Amino acid sequence: MDGAAGIIAVMAKDISDAAIQEPSSRALPRRGLERLDLMLLCMEALDLNGGEAMVWLSEQLGYGSLFPNRVELWKRRCHNPLRRTCRRGEVPASETDALIRILCVMADRLYPMLRSLLSSNEPEEVARERWALFQQRLGELVQERMNPRRSGVQKLLDPSDGAAQRLQLVRGLSLCAGHGGFDRIKASLMDAVA
Amino acid sequence: MVQSAAMKQRLVFDQLSCRLQVDGLPDVSVGQSGTALGIITGWSLQWVGRPLLEGRREHLQALMQVVFPYARHLISGVRRDFSVAGEPVDIGPHAEGGHRLLLRSSQPDTPPLEMRLDDAELADLVRVLDQLRLDPRLQLPLAVPEPEPLGPRELLERIPLRRRLTAPLGGAAVLAVSAALVLLLPPPPQPPLAPPAAPASEATPAGSRP
Repeated sequence: MDGAAGIIAVMAKDISDAAIQEPSSRALPRRGLERLDLMLLCMEALDLNGGEAMVWLSEQLGYGSLFPNRVELWKRRCHNPLRRTCRRGEVPASETDALIRILCVMADRLYPMLRSLLSSNEPEEVARERWALFQQRLGELVQERMNPRRSGVQKLLDPSDGAAQRLQLVRGLSLCAGHGGFDRIKASLMDAVA
Repeated sequence: MVQSAAMKQRLVFDQLSCRLQVDGLPDVSVGQSGTALGIITGWSLQWVGRPLLEGRREHLQALMQVVFPYARHLISGVRRDFSVAGEPVDIGPHAEGGHRLLLRSSQPDTPPLEMRLDDAELADLVRVLDQLRLDPRLQLPLAVPEPEPLGPRELLERIPLRRRLTAPLGGAAVLAVSAALVLLLPPPPQPPLAPPAAPASEATPAGSRP
């Protein structure tokens, strides 16, 4: 854990330097908040301690003032319109940036798992079992926290219809892992509504 | 020569499926020294079970200029080809799934090399390029397009053309059929015409005229 803390500390310094240089930016649209929360949910599905890891990372990356406790972190994520208890209003850009940084660092930590899900070189049986396990965990989290009456939630829970969306989420996480992924995923979350 | 050999730098970035190796020198004309790399003399990208790719700085930059926007669009679910006019690298979705990386050699009589990458290999490639781009030892500007949010028109490309056209064409067909059916309906029966009324001049007595 000491080694991991050391790496995170170095990353935290780089990230705080980057944050200072970043120009003020716009807040994420509702659709972006929805995707961001779903990606964080995928991280929790991949890592059984994902919720705890998020709080720990938030402290390590220097976001203690933005998210002093897990409740504050949870309140920001509740701006996802698919949530059972959805909050209205905008989330400030500094807070969404912090959530995106946390997502990128978590995706970096869990990159081997993301990669193993995406690799076509894995034996088919093993790949199918990995996806089934991921789908089961994600399904449990979605059923627990999301509004089942929303069509987006129903589609995500559907074993066949939701497969493409789950693949898209995992692929997006693999491409935004690490420092370099921040700008890519942020630009994607700012996309216009088609 | 001895001095040059001692100053030679090599940056190596590893992922599970590929290794990027960049060779160069510090640019002493701008005061660089030590571990800095200000001039790229060559690079190589080694894939497991695939041919070794080598090139100059321009080729590395061309690779970055297509791979990063492609990855950025993929995060939004948009799969389309990326190429820069006159540059030797193209990337796009492969017809049989995965991603197609096409590299054209500057050597004459050398056919282009096409590689099919899966999602994991593409992610590895993006990671090694990110590691290089963000490495503080690399002290030369590599022009990479800034990721930008996509507009509604670009996002529409996520939906296949057939599915995009289904709704408007279906609507137009329903409208045409409805119009044809309305035209086939018999016209409503005309009410019988009333007998023409007598002209007012005949009914008026002659003595009443002024």
